[in-house]
Amino acid sequence: MARRLAKTDVVIIGAGWTGLTAAYELAHAGKRCVVLERGSYRHDADDFAAPKEHDELKYAVHHAHMINTRKETLTFRNTASQQALPMRRLGSFLPGVGLGGAGIHWNGQLWRPLPSDLEMRSHYENRYGADFIPDDLNVQDWGVTYDELEPHFDFYEKICGTSGTAGQMADGPREGGNPFEGPRSADYPNPPMRQPIGPTKFDEAAHKLGYHPFPMPAANATKEYTNPYGAKLHPCTYCGFCERFGCGYYAKADPIICVYDQIKSHENFEIRYQAQVLRVEKAEDGKTATGVTYLTDAGEEVFQPADIVCMNAYGLWNTHLMLVSGLGKPYDPKTRTGTVGRNYAYQTMAGVNVFFDDQVVTNPFMGAGALGTVIDDFNGDNFDHSDLGFLGGGYIACTQTNGRPINYQPTPEGTPAWGADWKRAVRENYLHHASLTVHGSSMATPDNYLDLDPTWKDAYGRPLLRMTFNFPENDRRMADYVMGKAHEIARNMENVTSTSASNRAAEGSDYSIVPYQTTHNTGGTVMGTDPTTSVVNRFGQMWDHHNVFVFGAGLFPQNLGYNPTGPLMGVAYWTLEHIKNDYIANPRPLMDA
Amino acid sequence: MSMYSRRSVLFGFGAAVGLASLPRHAFAALDGTPFTFLSDTEARSLALLCDTLIPQDDFPSASQAGVVDFIDLQLAGGYGRGERLYMDGPHPQGTPEQGYQSPLRPADLWREGLAAMQTVIGPLEGQPQSALDQLMTDLSEDRPALAGRVGAKTFFTELHALTNQGYFADPIYGGNKGYAGWHMVGFPGAFGYYTDTVDDHNRPYPQPPMGIGHQPGTSDFNSER
Ligand SMILES: Cc1cc2nc3c(=O)[nH]c(=O)nc-3n(C[C@H](O)[C@H](O)[C@H](O)COP(=O)(O)OP(=O)(O)OC[C@H]3O[C@@H](n4cnc5c(N)ncnc54)[C@H](O)[C@@H]3O)c2cc1C
Ligand code: SF4
Repeated sequence: MARRLAKTDVVIIGAGWTGLTAAYELAHAGKRCVVLERGSYRHDADDFAAPKEHDELKYAVHHAHMINTRKETLTFRNTASQQALPMRRLGSFLPGVGLGGAGIHWNGQLWRPLPSDLEMRSHYENRYGADFIPDDLNVQDWGVTYDELEPHFDFYEKICGTSGTAGQMADGPREGGNPFEGPRSADYPNPPMRQPIGPTKFDEAAHKLGYHPFPMPAANATKEYTNPYGAKLHPCTYCGFCERFGCGYYAKADPIICVYDQIKSHENFEIRYQAQVLRVEKAEDGKTATGVTYLTDAGEEVFQPADIVCMNAYGLWNTHLMLVSGLGKPYDPKTRTGTVGRNYAYQTMAGVNVFFDDQVVTNPFMGAGALGTVIDDFNGDNFDHSDLGFLGGGYIACTQTNGRPINYQPTPEGTPAWGADWKRAVRENYLHHASLTVHGSSMATPDNYLDLDPTWKDAYGRPLLRMTFNFPENDRRMADYVMGKAHEIARNMENVTSTSASNRAAEGSDYSIVPYQTTHNTGGTVMGTDPTTSVVNRFGQMWDHHNVFVFGAGLFPQNLGYNPTGPLMGVAYWTLEHIKNDYIANPRPLMDA
Repeated sequence: MSMYSRRSVLFGFGAAVGLASLPRHAFAALDGTPFTFLSDTEARSLALLCDTLIPQDDFPSASQAGVVDFIDLQLAGGYGRGERLYMDGPHPQGTPEQGYQSPLRPADLWREGLAAMQTVIGPLEGQPQSALDQLMTDLSEDRPALAGRVGAKTFFTELHALTNQGYFADPIYGGNKGYAGWHMVGFPGAFGYYTDTVDDHNRPYPQPPMGIGHQPGTSDFNSER
């Protein structure tokens, strides 16, 4: 029997961006919040300081900040006809653990969705006709609109001290910004990052071709800055140890310095570490949850009762917790009924390597997680899809994030993978290379989903989450098309000696769990306005357990052509606003099913 | 535990051999420290394999840059023990897309892999370089079938990854001696303050490398020898 603790108003599972933000907002609304985090305490100056943190082997290769698959992992297969096998070591994506979650080792590429992204089905049907979306794509509206979320996108940009150039202000477009973005209520709080030579050459070539380049919006600060919670950020040093690392310079916005420090002494806030939540407990009435059961470091099971349960464990683990707790109805791909685990989607990644002659010295080690220049001309529905045979798109960016030499060894096409020729090519090209990335959307399909594995278990005896995923044909066509555009820009960059393109979602190749792609897993706990196709309503509230609120990119009905944290934090603030202003006074389903 | 120093084992010298007789670019430790995990024979075989992947040219070969020392320490540490590897069985064979599925901890995989290879082509020592090159090509293409439980491709993948890591990881891990790998590409190391230089386009960055251990490198790589 689990030891039963005194009841709290709110229990929050996970101390990443969404969990700590939920705690901040609800504690200030007068609710006692207990945050349960399976990992440990850590802090920027003490634990992420250079030069010790600048250890590529430890953090980028051996994943010291990320989950240990020995304790928790998932099984994976491309199709339901295969046996899923354990992801025995990390690769394709790198989930976080510990105070700040993955928000300490993210890049800080900070986006808003396009207005049409949030109303994807309606938008495509309106523009191209009711039959445009093929039946094998589960494309859905989010149930919430850009205008509803805009104040929250704006607020999160301010929390992060975001650097960038606005494209669409209330009084009209701005030169040098993204002309395709939705209307903004305010400019970015900080000026854009300074661009190295590669992105500058990309900018010139993109301009020449009639596209609209702009600096990537970055949660890497460019000035001394104080956020609305009172956190102080310092200017980025472009140290090149950003993604996969914590920032000891207080320059990359992360949940520890931006949120935790500002709430840690509040009387309504408490955080417990090494608190592994095993399941959410349900009430007899079948309409609410009573709290959560977790395992302490000492191996004791503890029941924490609460009036409100916030699930902030990251999309994959929120889905897992729901499945092992019997919360919601699991998705069944045969009958295509049920919702938990439905619409799992990922990100398509393609790219072009650009090699310069000796006149161009790129110094790739001068980098930052969100340093780069972008065009959005081929993202979302910013271009005419009528004859293309696919939905969605992606941004094309020339980024300079790092020159860390174990993982950064660009060589021209045709170079062998080892031996004398390889060695010469690495030496000759390291300082003369730029990367273009095509960061693309991924549509949900009935065949891609998450459920529980019948064979393998985690360190706590629970069945592992099982992922069944391959890129849909739609995404393969999209990634190929946008990559072609990136290749065209690359060929038009000056001083280029050769280019080579690659596409992770290429025709004829299966999605692989091995090489890193992005930690942008979406779906599984989708939001919407129809309980037969969504797990939570448009407020992030579970349809069948109204005191359970769910956060994170698991809510996305399909993946968009952007990094997820801006969109998911916009939704998080929207959910929290409705908990504070509506739910707390009168706990009930906020929408009729 | 082996009896000889890392250097003497790799280059086939007695422990008393002086510096002058070492080949050019011999950066690895001459401190007499014995190997931690590898036997002397394993270390010598490994040196041949690593140097096939990263041969000597104007810059040191893998073993000259300490890669065998690096791999030895990795195999004795968390990587070798599979500390961050989900090991629960069963262990059916998967597709390449499903990643590492070996039932072996990496340390055992290396030991068995090194042994299995010699059952295929005989002792590596004394083989002409062309035979070693061919062996490496075969392994990378999942040939030949190695005796025992280690897949050729699985062994190649680990060997390739760790050789590369040993050449380019911070010297605190035993490889990248004298910052050989970082000199080769022009990576200045663990200290990163580029606020004023990031948009100073096309200017080579003159600082010699410096690692986590604050051991400064020199700007003239050749003068280290
Ligand atoms: C290398 C990398 C680069 C990235 N770059 C970008 C980028 O540039 N732009 C962008 O938008 N996004 C990026 N991301 C994604 C971004 O990090 C995530 O979107 C974001 O951190 C999600 O926040 P979250 O609160 O949903 O989850 P997390 O940050 O994952 O936090 C979840 C927390 O819950 C805890 N937890 C989980 N399960 C349990 C349990 N059962 N019991 C107790 N605690 C639990 C975890 O330990 C963790 O601390 C990147 C991610 C990675 C890994
Ligand atoms: S690049 Fe900038 S934001 Fe990133 S870790 Fe370095 S100093 Fe921090």
